[in-house]
Amino acid sequence: MEKAMKRGVKRILAVGLAGIAVLAMASCSTKHDLPQNLIADDEANSKIVNVFGPMEKSKPGVDNVSRTAFDITVSMAEEKLGLRVEYRTYTAENYQEKTYDDVTLDRVRNNMDDFYLLNPDCIQTLGEEGKLLDLSDLECTKNLRDVVKAANTVNGKLVAIPQEIVVYGLFVNKDMFDRYHLELPNTPEEFMECCRVFKDNGVETPVGANRWWLETFVFAQAFADLYNGENTQAEIEALNSGESKYSDYMRPGFEFLQEMIDKGYIDAKAAYTYEAIEGEGPDFMAQKTPIVMAYWAAANADTAYGKPDFEMQVIGFPSSRGQMPVVPITGYAIGAEAEHLEDTKKVLDVILSDEAMKLYSETNRVIPSTKNVEVDCIPALEPLNNKMEENVYVLASNANMKMEQWGNVCLIVRDLLNGATVDECMEKLDRIQEEAVRKGTE
Amino acid sequence: MSRKQKENRKDRGFPLIFSIVLVFCILGTVVFSVARRISAEMSSSAIHNLSESLGLVKGTIEAILNQEAEFQKLIAQEITMIEDPEEFIRSYKKNGTMVRISLILEGEAEGVSNVGETFSEEGLDFSAGKSIDGLLVSQSYLNSLGTWAYTIKCPVLRGEEEIAALYMEYIYDSFDEALPGSFYNGKAMLYIMDAKSERLVLKPKGMGERIAGHLNLQDFYRANDIMEPELQAEVEASINTGKNIMFYHDIREKDSLIYMWAVNDGGIYLIGYVPIEAIQQEGKAVNQNIIAVVLVMLVAFLICCLLYYLNQRQQNRIRRERETEREIHNKQLAEALQAAQIASKSKTTFLSNMSHDIRTPMNAILGFTTLLAKDAENPAKVREYTRKITASGQHLLSLINDVLDVSKIESGKVVLTIGEFTLNSLVSSVDTIIRPMANARNQSFDVTVTGIKHEHLVGDETRINQILINLLSNAVKYTPKGGNIWFRIIGLPQRSSQYEHIRIEVEDDGYGMTPEYLETIFEAFTRAENSTTNKVQGTGLGMAITKNIVELMGGSIEVSSEVDKGSIFRVELELRIPDGQADKEFWEKSGISRILAIDDDREICENIQMLMKDMDVAVDTAFSGEEGLLRLQEAVGAGQAYQMVLLDWKMPDMDGIETAKQIRCTISDTLPILFLTAYDGADVEDEIHHVENTGILAKPFFVSTFKEKILEMRAGRKAEHTEEETAAHGSLEGLHLLVAEDNEINAEILSELLDVEGAICEIVENGQLAVARFERAFEGEFDAVLMDVQMPVMNGYEASRAIRALKRGDASKIPIIAMTANAFAEDVKDALDAGMNVHIAKPIDMALLKKTLNQWIQKRN
Repeated sequence: MEKAMKRGVKRILAVGLAGIAVLAMASCSTKHDLPQNLIADDEANSKIVNVFGPMEKSKPGVDNVSRTAFDITVSMAEEKLGLRVEYRTYTAENYQEKTYDDVTLDRVRNNMDDFYLLNPDCIQTLGEEGKLLDLSDLECTKNLRDVVKAANTVNGKLVAIPQEIVVYGLFVNKDMFDRYHLELPNTPEEFMECCRVFKDNGVETPVGANRWWLETFVFAQAFADLYNGENTQAEIEALNSGESKYSDYMRPGFEFLQEMIDKGYIDAKAAYTYEAIEGEGPDFMAQKTPIVMAYWAAANADTAYGKPDFEMQVIGFPSSRGQMPVVPITGYAIGAEAEHLEDTKKVLDVILSDEAMKLYSETNRVIPSTKNVEVDCIPALEPLNNKMEENVYVLASNANMKMEQWGNVCLIVRDLLNGATVDECMEKLDRIQEEAVRKGTE
Repeated sequence: MSRKQKENRKDRGFPLIFSIVLVFCILGTVVFSVARRISAEMSSSAIHNLSESLGLVKGTIEAILNQEAEFQKLIAQEITMIEDPEEFIRSYKKNGTMVRISLILEGEAEGVSNVGETFSEEGLDFSAGKSIDGLLVSQSYLNSLGTWAYTIKCPVLRGEEEIAALYMEYIYDSFDEALPGSFYNGKAMLYIMDAKSERLVLKPKGMGERIAGHLNLQDFYRANDIMEPELQAEVEASINTGKNIMFYHDIREKDSLIYMWAVNDGGIYLIGYVPIEAIQQEGKAVNQNIIAVVLVMLVAFLICCLLYYLNQRQQNRIRRERETEREIHNKQLAEALQAAQIASKSKTTFLSNMSHDIRTPMNAILGFTTLLAKDAENPAKVREYTRKITASGQHLLSLINDVLDVSKIESGKVVLTIGEFTLNSLVSSVDTIIRPMANARNQSFDVTVTGIKHEHLVGDETRINQILINLLSNAVKYTPKGGNIWFRIIGLPQRSSQYEHIRIEVEDDGYGMTPEYLETIFEAFTRAENSTTNKVQGTGLGMAITKNIVELMGGSIEVSSEVDKGSIFRVELELRIPDGQADKEFWEKSGISRILAIDDDREICENIQMLMKDMDVAVDTAFSGEEGLLRLQEAVGAGQAYQMVLLDWKMPDMDGIETAKQIRCTISDTLPILFLTAYDGADVEDEIHHVENTGILAKPFFVSTFKEKILEMRAGRKAEHTEEETAAHGSLEGLHLLVAEDNEINAEILSELLDVEGAICEIVENGQLAVARFERAFEGEFDAVLMDVQMPVMNGYEASRAIRALKRGDASKIPIIAMTANAFAEDVKDALDAGMNVHIAKPIDMALLKKTLNQWIQKRN
């Protein structure tokens, strides 16, 4: 037996040496293939679709789940369609620079890209201008939630479709509330009382704010009854015709903000210059500020409020009807004269399909725009999710309303932060409404 | 393996391993240094290539800028020749590179633009003082298209007078086509940065690029973790002075080269990074190939080492095997030498013993013959001397016979004479020889036969006899006076139905043997004691002969012994059972179908039952006299009387005689009774004389003896037996014998001996003369011929054949008796084959000769 084993070892060694010899000889071979053009045909890779989207300032070593989720769906489209999706991005370096919305408007109007991620005000503005393609005939629209269709239909055209329903809420540090024995607030009065307690206990700024999202307080108080009452359509029509005034709806919210500013619960000066999350976020994560406002996905993203060192909860904004989620519907829109129109439509059909939505939702755990995919939210988001499940929310953008609100109210709130009075703000609002009503009647 | 060998192996193994490790180290160092050198050269080359590439891109961008400036100058020149320059501007179409053209007339704050709006310098920053081909270029800004742009300002000169300023806005996106599509296979990043604002005005596109910081230089630093203040300060200084800068830094855990390349005197910068592995792809491939080649060489080297090692190991193994073989061979030689020396010593000892053994009786013979010559007149002394001479001669003879036997056995010339025999005859012949010897030494000699199913067997009776005589005579010889000797024949379970498996045991309670002697007891030329010192005489060949004969018969012999306790020899043999039916007819004719055996020894009773079973004779047993009587009475009562009673002579309580008397009194006067006895028949015969219809049956029980005894009892052969014996020992008076003997002395001795016995003999010197003399003789002239075998002219065999061949009436009948020193079995056979009637070995035993002559002469008559 030992002999046989030795023989085996010798055979293996012989085969090994032979193999090495063959490898050595093979490696000496210099024969080229038959003559052929060695330059690869790039035509297959020449199909391009341009997308314009916001860009955030870098945080090294931190993943943005939301962006990753979008990238996954784009990869799916690239693979399925055999094309390349190229990003073009912008973000303002500071508040003095053009905003993302400004640049978007310029780029859509000058037909610079194929499709864009638009904020609600841009959707309404550009939709009204006819700069956006009607997406009603896309296959992906069949399974859209009604709220999406309602919010993004301008003049009978569905001009934008989001991947997720963006729900805004209040992100609160539950540990700090517990420390001062505070219940989570439901009404503006309760909220004010909480801020007082925090302030009295040495919290310098109980509410962290930026120059974009303070308007959510206004929408929650303004439209809590409108969207959750029984005369929604009639009230919208009255606003569109000018019979009712937006200022009547929004005044309490502005007065509420004014009081907060006056009492030092909001640092107006800082808020006026702060970019979203980038400005107020660090203090919230450092537990210096117990309350900030942000969108749903910020609770999942490491770049935002994904991994707090405290118990975080996301609740609705205070209103007469209790905690109220605020929903501004964003969306992807195609330029009406996009250079790669057909390919772009196909890309949207893929990235908004149920299959892509499922992946998207699984990755960043948000409410997808399709009704065929359910959300599996993290515990912190449950209070907000419960309200959404109960269909309790207000829209911060509604294309059925002639006056664009998300952008306009944002700018007016900025005026308030900059020192304008509530009356001045209401006057501006009235002027914008009058302009909108006039355009509508023309 | 000895420690020294292990150390040697270690000594050999260490330098080998050290050499291999050294080769590996040297090779590794060489490969490492070569790889490093290649890497360094490649790195240098890669940096050079990267610089070249960046220089090329820079050149391209500057060329575009220069073209734009030249184009703008041409337009400015054309404007001087146009009547309505403002209308020209308003009607000018934008393109993919130039997106706005504006004109401000000299002395005015606002001008016109092709996009339909009024135009002013507000928002344009020319303070950096950067220029292209002498034309001022603004800082980068985000234009109305939502993209990054710059404006070149060109004075419109009519002659020496500046009449207006021409502004053209270009977008950075137009450089996109000029930049390499896939810089270092897409692994390198390339941005265009406005030097003053440090904003990134042109960014890479496509998936993944969103990961990097695209906003400005600080964002770029953050995204790529370039946070060293010194480094940032150095970069800042380089940008401020419009210098190129390139440095190594880790980008997402990959060693990378970061570059910042000034374009248009540092107005804009090409910035980005490339992983080292991307620019040193070739170097890496070369290094990998070198490592692969080295690895292959190392593997080949290792294989060679392994082959060498295996070969060495095999060589060592062969060497070791040879050494072992040599050692074994040497050992065998030494053993052989030792054996030869022992054999030589044994033979020397043997010769010494033989010399002693031969000289002793020879001394007696010669001494007594001297005395005989002196005391010839004294008949009593003469008889005494001749008796002693005879005894010495016989001892000498047995010595010679044994030596011859051994010599014959050792040379493989022994032939077994296979024939049918009965155990009865075997046992009785042995008993006849041994019992007198045992009696002479006052020893008890007990013979038992048990478990034997077949009494008639096939084998060489003579040789078996020889075995038994050897063993038993030794037992007698080596057992002191008054000791005990047991001779047992035991039937063992048969291995084959055709063979009887027997064990012969010879036990004594004599001197016994030492364990050392037991080891050599069956070797030739050994003896328990040296014959020169021991009173017991013998050749020392008996046991060797015995063992050889036993093995020749396919049997086995073993011995166990203890000094002063005795010895036991066990011989196992398998003897063939002869064909043919058992002699049932005799028993039927005799009317014996039922007998009673009375013996206190159960084994004997069972043996009788077993032996008689084949004869269809039922044997009932009783183990005491009383029980025997009871059985006899029952049988009579039941009308199934026994035809014969076998009755043990010695029994406790009621012995055989007493039982027999009781039988005669109470059962029957005529029922034949045979006494079983191991004792001398003569003593017993006196005792039973008074009891009618009885006989003696010697133990052990044999069917044939039993049968003979029955015949004897019925025919009254007692008298006949006595007559025969008388005849056998009768005189040779008046016989006329022809003797063929070439040796004169032998002839004379024989002549004298026969003369003493009253016979007349006529001696001839060879076979031929014997034939001639017999031919001449008248019919009946000679009573027998005594024929020597080895004779000149014609030997005994030929002479016998010639006599038998003669055509005369007594030629075939006359007894021819071979008398020769050729005393082996085959000699006997040859003699009989030659037509002789019987063979008598020399030296002549007169008694035997007389008996043989009487028998044959009687037979002829």
